[in-house]
Amino acid sequence: MYFVAHIHENECAKYNCKQCVLFCPEPNCLNYKESGHTAWVWTDRCKGCEICVYVCSDLLKRNCIEMVMVKAGD
Amino acid sequence: MGLEYVRISPGFEKYMPRDYVDLVKFGQFGREVDVMQLGQFKELVEEHPMCAGCYMAYFIRIFYAALPKPEDTIVLGTAGCARLALSQAAVPFIYGNYGDTNAVASGLKRALSIRFPDKDKDVVVIAGDGGLMDIGFGMTMHSWFRGEKFTTIMVDNEVYGNTGGQESGMSPKGVQLKMAPLGKKFDKINAVQLAIDAGCVYVAKISPTNPKKIAKVVRRAIFAARKFGPTFIHAYTSCNIEYSIPTREVLADARKREKEDFKFFEWMTDEVKEYLEEIERKEKERKKQEVKS
Repeated sequence: MYFVAHIHENECAKYNCKQCVLFCPEPNCLNYKESGHTAWVWTDRCKGCEICVYVCSDLLKRNCIEMVMVKAGD
Repeated sequence: MGLEYVRISPGFEKYMPRDYVDLVKFGQFGREVDVMQLGQFKELVEEHPMCAGCYMAYFIRIFYAALPKPEDTIVLGTAGCARLALSQAAVPFIYGNYGDTNAVASGLKRALSIRFPDKDKDVVVIAGDGGLMDIGFGMTMHSWFRGEKFTTIMVDNEVYGNTGGQESGMSPKGVQLKMAPLGKKFDKINAVQLAIDAGCVYVAKISPTNPKKIAKVVRRAIFAARKFGPTFIHAYTSCNIEYSIPTREVLADARKREKEDFKFFEWMTDEVKEYLEEIERKEKERKKQEVKS
């Protein structure tokens, strides 16, 4: 079981802000998809620190990222 | 070193690991990237084993994205947390003994300027507060006294995080740590003032709350070191483990410290200022022309 960030892409696409990507301490983990204007998470690399949630929910009040449990192989 | 070293020989692409092919095709080598494009190009650090929510790792991530010429750069580190991420990057990395990074960098920079007299080869030291201001203090100071032309970056987590939480010279006064239960009795060393007095030509103090600002400071320090002399950046990179900061609050803590004792500070000599303004003006013009075309 891993605790990782999950992006609500429909919500995220509304803003086109990319701030979570800029504040993640993991390289190549939170990325940005230009086609859908949304951030996406490389689940294997996420360590579950929740800094993106702080940026998205606490600082920007946009609530597009949630922490979820995933199992190996998800 | 150099672009030829990075490129894959023709015909070998299908045998190379996917990550490496991505790095050459979509990475930073041979082109300028803007740090605000993070997440849209392959980064130089592939992965790192640092703790979840470590802002030293964040600073290093932005540092690599900001490098003006990663193919012509050598990074030096020493024992401490920073080396865990530095050694995972696609930039040559030298691991000095504890405290001798600036001595090694001095020799390296001199050798590079003899071997490649017509090229800019950047040497950057990234070490912790222990490596630069406690154990490596003498070598750090003397490299500045001698006016060696390379950049020194101190990632200051205010504690010996690797070895269980002993106090360092950079820990704030009065702080209680796991291996310093009585509290620290002395003030935090004023590294920035020491650097100015010792002859650095560009000195900055920063808390990692704004990637654009970090990138600007890193680039300025590297450009100034190419021509004028030693440059120094003092960055606050909290240790969320030893200081018990919940990972979610790490950025909030960096913002709080920025308001207190880590206010953004930048100092440079007049000739450096002139030189940097010239470089930044040219960069802006180049970007404008790119947008037009």
